[in-house]
Amino acid sequence: MEGLTDYAGDIFNPYLREWKEGGGRIVGYACVATPREFLDAAGVLPYRIRALGNPDRELADAYLARFNCGFCRACLQLGLDGSYDFLDGLVETNGCDHLRGMFENWQYVKKLDFFHYLHVPHLISEEALEFFAEELELYREAISAHFGVDVSDASLLEAMERSNRVRGKLRELFSLREKERPCLTGTDVLAALLLESSLPPAVFEEYLDGLLATVRSREVSGYRSRLLLAGSASDELGLVKEIEGVGGLVVTDALCYGTRAFWALPELEGDPIHAMAESYLKNLYCARMFDDYPNRLAFVMDAARRAGVEGAVLVYNKFCDLHGVENVSLRTDLEKEGIPVLILEKEYGAGADIGRIRTRVQAFLERIGG
Amino acid sequence: MATQADKEIPGLFDRAYALFTLVNSLPDEMSDEEIAGLLHVLPADIRSTLSSILHRRHRRAGMLFLKMIAAWLEEAVGARQRGQKLLLGTFNYLPEFIHAFRGAVLLTSEVITTLGVVSLEGQGERYWDYAMGLGIPDFLCSANTIALGSVLTGCDIIPDGIVQSAPGACDANSKIHEFVAREYDIPQFFIEKPNYTDRRGREQYQKNFLACVRQLEGFIGEELDEERLREVLEKSNRCTELFYELWDLRKFVPCPVPNIFSLFTFATRFTMWGRDEGIRLFTTMVETVKEIMEKDDYVAPERARTVWTYLPYFFDFSGFFNWLEEQGVVYLNDVLTACFPTIIDTTDMQSMLRGLAESAWNMPMTRQMGGDSMMIRWLDDIVHCVNDLGANAAVYCGHHSCKQTWSVVAAVRNEIQKRAGVPTLCLQGDSWIRRMTPMSVLQEEISSFVDNVLARKPRGARRKAE
Repeated sequence: MEGLTDYAGDIFNPYLREWKEGGGRIVGYACVATPREFLDAAGVLPYRIRALGNPDRELADAYLARFNCGFCRACLQLGLDGSYDFLDGLVETNGCDHLRGMFENWQYVKKLDFFHYLHVPHLISEEALEFFAEELELYREAISAHFGVDVSDASLLEAMERSNRVRGKLRELFSLREKERPCLTGTDVLAALLLESSLPPAVFEEYLDGLLATVRSREVSGYRSRLLLAGSASDELGLVKEIEGVGGLVVTDALCYGTRAFWALPELEGDPIHAMAESYLKNLYCARMFDDYPNRLAFVMDAARRAGVEGAVLVYNKFCDLHGVENVSLRTDLEKEGIPVLILEKEYGAGADIGRIRTRVQAFLERIGG
Repeated sequence: MATQADKEIPGLFDRAYALFTLVNSLPDEMSDEEIAGLLHVLPADIRSTLSSILHRRHRRAGMLFLKMIAAWLEEAVGARQRGQKLLLGTFNYLPEFIHAFRGAVLLTSEVITTLGVVSLEGQGERYWDYAMGLGIPDFLCSANTIALGSVLTGCDIIPDGIVQSAPGACDANSKIHEFVAREYDIPQFFIEKPNYTDRRGREQYQKNFLACVRQLEGFIGEELDEERLREVLEKSNRCTELFYELWDLRKFVPCPVPNIFSLFTFATRFTMWGRDEGIRLFTTMVETVKEIMEKDDYVAPERARTVWTYLPYFFDFSGFFNWLEEQGVVYLNDVLTACFPTIIDTTDMQSMLRGLAESAWNMPMTRQMGGDSMMIRWLDDIVHCVNDLGANAAVYCGHHSCKQTWSVVAAVRNEIQKRAGVPTLCLQGDSWIRRMTPMSVLQEEISSFVDNVLARKPRGARRKAE
């Protein structure tokens, strides 16, 4: 089962092929604010769009510009070059300006039959929650109508229960990573999380059970410092591997492909739509939300304390306005709490950037005494 | 945040205020010789600005414009003494809404940046650099970051609160304002636009707007007064009528409206809309255009009629607005003037608040980029402007931080060609920072476009008829 890890770097892994060959449908989403449980409840496989460090841009750059985030350009490239042709539709959110551009151009060119825009408010208030709940109702109706499946409250609750079970196990995996003698590396954990959003749920859960059973007795050694990794969308296994390659073990994170994707556990009591609205909106921990910085800081600080980190690396892709600014505040606040910070601006998927990144991480580790 | 050394740099607002209020000592009417004498003693940057604003063809309007801006700045400076709250806002926030409060004054960060860039020695670069020094990324929007960089130095005017309608329409704008609010622990008041243009979206927006009204009333400590609101909105309505009168005058060929009147128009929209100063300026602009038509006073034969699909360039008024005019290139409008104001029903409080929410919905950028698609409303507006104003080309200035427009400009360019039949020139440059692309390079690209694309003649030997 552990061999599955090899598929973390695959866009279209054999399990997805099998799913499609069996008549299964797959819908892509990119933003962590997308409640995937609705798709699961309809029997549709939710698939989180990723670019896995893809450095190519030539098709995407005919639509997005060089002033757009490299991650979104790399994803669009894969959307346009046919790598994502196995998708039966897309769910867009207004995550950020770059992401909106990516989806809009993808749909402009490909014209997918199922393309749903889920509006996620930027503020947390009673009015916003009510609006978001209405949005989720529309989302449910769109899925039901297009795929000809009734996404009932009961099936939604079932999907939420399944999802919460996996979320709970992922927390367990995190505790093994965050403990004093970590059982696995940050690269291992990111690989597991990338699999989580690209495998049929049952396959992933079985894999996760196997992983939890085998890694408990392991111990990672030979590292210089314990680090927290936070910042903008990062699905680059290579980046984490580079950081760990020079001795900075990533023992926890606050990434949207990391903890932010599974930490919250929606309530299973009462109206599932309101439970989902509340859980997703109040636990976004994303710099796109306004008037919510204290919660985001608390989320990062909790992770840092839980894992006893000696330093934090805050990454952002060039041209990411949200995290580019947010990291300045986070740096100040983390340093006030005695956690040294390295801010890394990077070009997504650029091999040429790796040497620079390695040098900066090495210097940071020297600085913090690792 | 700022050190003592930083505090030795005077703030952008204070410096721009000192310079702009000098115009109060100038007479309303000045001869060419007097203007030449005035420009002679000024540093290069402000000389370029004033020579453009006070061009002989539209000097009366230019002088009124300067005095309107000076009055706007003076109100902000005296706000605290008068017991008013000083609010800092984004350009897509309604000034007439704040004018309706006795106890508040609105400063618009993009306008302050522009005033600094067009008047100060070194433009606004030192404040931009200061923000970069704090770690703010260099791809953020200079329109906000220059003014807010100055606020962050700690030696400039510090607002009591921030009013915001950028979330959902521009991340860069929203984040830098949020950063400043956090640094100074000042409250923010948001009007969030849901990314829907249908009835549901409008209803939600009305709710969000009303919630913001209540929050601001609490913060300012004053309920909106119906009579005062009516007075402001009646003046706003007059501005709207004059806005469209000026719009219609742009349709004439050759276009009699000076290029810089677009800037006067949106600057009024962001500052003195709903005030006597705004009405006076619009009235004078309309009169000036009619005089130009009567006297047949055109700068050069018309070679191109352009709709600017986003912004102009602000760091060299003379090199931009005047130069275009000298080349026979008409600057018809841009997205900042594409705010399509409507007459507000002033019958009662409810109708006025509904009208205000509708105006807020239509403010530039909110209207276009805050839609369910970043492309569709923007494209519809450009196509409308091109057709209505008889443009033969579109120009995208490619302000480097506008990630929303950069995200869809390629598709928009294709669709403009299909739907309106005109080509789009895509430039690259920062609208407020000259370092990115110098004006000479932009001029060269515009010239090439006009000469080679718009004025292109078929080449080669003509085929003989069979």
